[in-house]
Amino acid sequence: MRGAVAAGAVAAGAVLSLAGVAGGTEDPGKAAAPRMEFIPPPAGSYRLERIQPVTDAVFLDGNGRAVRLSALTQGKITLLTFFYTYCVDPLGCPFAHTTLADLRDRVTGDRSLAGRVRFVSVSLDPTHDTPAALASYGRGFAVDPTFEWRFLTARGVPELLPVLDDFGQDVSVDIDEHGRATRTLHHMLKMFLIDARGEVREIYTLAFLQPQVMFNDIKTLALEAG
Amino acid sequence: MTINRRLILILGVAAIMSVAAAESYADETCNSPYMSGLIKGQEDFVHVWTLGVPGMGDGSDKLVTIDANPASKTYGKVIDKVSVGGIGEAHHMGFTDDRKYLWAGGLDDSKIYVFDVGTVPSHPKLVKTIDNLPAQTRYAGPHTFYALPGRMLIGNLSNAADKGGVTGMAVYNNKGDFVAKYDMPTTAIREIKGDGYGYDIAVNPAKNTLLTSSFTGWNNYMRALGEVVKDPEAMKHFGNTMVVWNLKTMEPEQILAVPGAPLEIRWALPAGQNWAITAAALTSQLWLVKRDGQGRWQAKDVAAIGDPAKIPLPVDISITADAKGLWVNTFMDGTTHYFDLTDPEHPRQTYTKHTGSQVNMVSQSWDGRRVYITSSLLSKWDKTGKDNEQFLRAFHWDGHELTPAFEVDFTKEQLGRPHHMKFTANPQRLVSLTAASAR
Repeated sequence: MRGAVAAGAVAAGAVLSLAGVAGGTEDPGKAAAPRMEFIPPPAGSYRLERIQPVTDAVFLDGNGRAVRLSALTQGKITLLTFFYTYCVDPLGCPFAHTTLADLRDRVTGDRSLAGRVRFVSVSLDPTHDTPAALASYGRGFAVDPTFEWRFLTARGVPELLPVLDDFGQDVSVDIDEHGRATRTLHHMLKMFLIDARGEVREIYTLAFLQPQVMFNDIKTLALEAG
Repeated sequence: MTINRRLILILGVAAIMSVAAAESYADETCNSPYMSGLIKGQEDFVHVWTLGVPGMGDGSDKLVTIDANPASKTYGKVIDKVSVGGIGEAHHMGFTDDRKYLWAGGLDDSKIYVFDVGTVPSHPKLVKTIDNLPAQTRYAGPHTFYALPGRMLIGNLSNAADKGGVTGMAVYNNKGDFVAKYDMPTTAIREIKGDGYGYDIAVNPAKNTLLTSSFTGWNNYMRALGEVVKDPEAMKHFGNTMVVWNLKTMEPEQILAVPGAPLEIRWALPAGQNWAITAAALTSQLWLVKRDGQGRWQAKDVAAIGDPAKIPLPVDISITADAKGLWVNTFMDGTTHYFDLTDPEHPRQTYTKHTGSQVNMVSQSWDGRRVYITSSLLSKWDKTGKDNEQFLRAFHWDGHELTPAFEVDFTKEQLGRPHHMKFTANPQRLVSLTAASAR
């Protein structure tokens, strides 16, 4: 019950935060759920740009073991996103993970992609998202043991910052009236499609989180690799 | 709290957010619609990309920052300027997807300057200069900077070979590294031949559609306007097309005949809308680009801007957030027009005001209550003598009348020729992750 109350307080805090923003000077970047009013081009009928390589780093997995990021961004087609476990923004992390769950089902339903795709979710809050918290959170998405979906956290903020900088993932933190940091993070929802050689080939912000298009992009990279 | 109550609470948050989202379609000052941090309230600062004038101040192109918050002690004043150390025909600029950086281009030297406007918006910093556009692409004259996720799509005006109007679009990642290039079409698609010219870029992510427009090359825009209009051969070298691109494949799918140099493009982004609008400079017409019943895009002229016979030269437009109104500036007669776009097939001009001896860019705030205007078009096209006013003028708009709010005289302040404007705001009650972790 206490946890539920805490979750409710966070949700209420999100409401207050939004209300404050509405009367303030800057919108934190929230937008509407994506619309898709077109037929996506078929997989393999186009090329995805080579946007940038991924710089390596060391994270912790749900068991507290050190994991090199490069080991999880190479060898398979990877969809990587940043999140935090207690995010309640309906168009933020929960929406991202709902989209990923949809994609996971599409991928596992396509035999040509078997063993060729993984998802990686990296926490934006290493202070609160401990390996144990990640393990608990990740269990909710581990419905298919044959599909690799990894949840990672950093040892601390200093270890996380270079990765955020490399990916161009902005994060800011709400402060209260006393200047104290709250647990409300603002970040632009981004998802990174990385090819098996570790190169970012597409980036999806909220307006582009269209599962059919994303699935076709994954298939395009799979066809490209042969 | 039960699971159901918690769900209800979360859905309540969703409802509140969806209300905010419903207001958040369309542009603020014609930015990428899916860029983060669109300012819905009072902007704090207006950044003005300003052409240097030899002998005026330091003579350099510069980013000028003006305090635009009426609650500030320095309201209406220049509070910062960042010179780039040369004159390269400063023209347009655009934010990155996270709104932390402003990319600004030079139409003459083809350089691109990246300013950090996110760390301290009141005092931008020049953090990178990109000077390899012609070498990487053979394009020249970077004009439109349109944020895509993690990268910048750049619409160009010219090329490095013959300095004519045949050009293309370049993509750089947000680190400033070259990614890709896409030539504007020069062959025919369904019997309409592409002219290869470029100008503006506008994306509608829900339709997977990118629209481009077409202006002219370096040979014309860096030549005195009076000479250009008297040269029949030069007048043949203006764009007469728009191109409909498949955004995912970056392939041109349709070429639309839009004579007279179609310039800025603005999508109507509210749900259910199926159109974009542009203004053709030389023919002084508003053109509607709309999808027909067969799913094909069609362009048609829907309204005259001023008296086309007098060549008022519409040079910029700004659409309201609900896509029901459009500001248009006409350079030659110094007039600001407002069109009612409730029926985009039949725009109605409902207001005009003479706002200067020459007026160029027009940008409105998200709430539509404030309108900002600058004066300079191009260094070789601006008027001379007493008509060469150089200013930024801010107005209040009550739906009926533009009333002056403040003005900055760029000549008196020894700044140069003000062109493109972008807004920023002080982040409220937000700190960086680094700062938060140290608290």
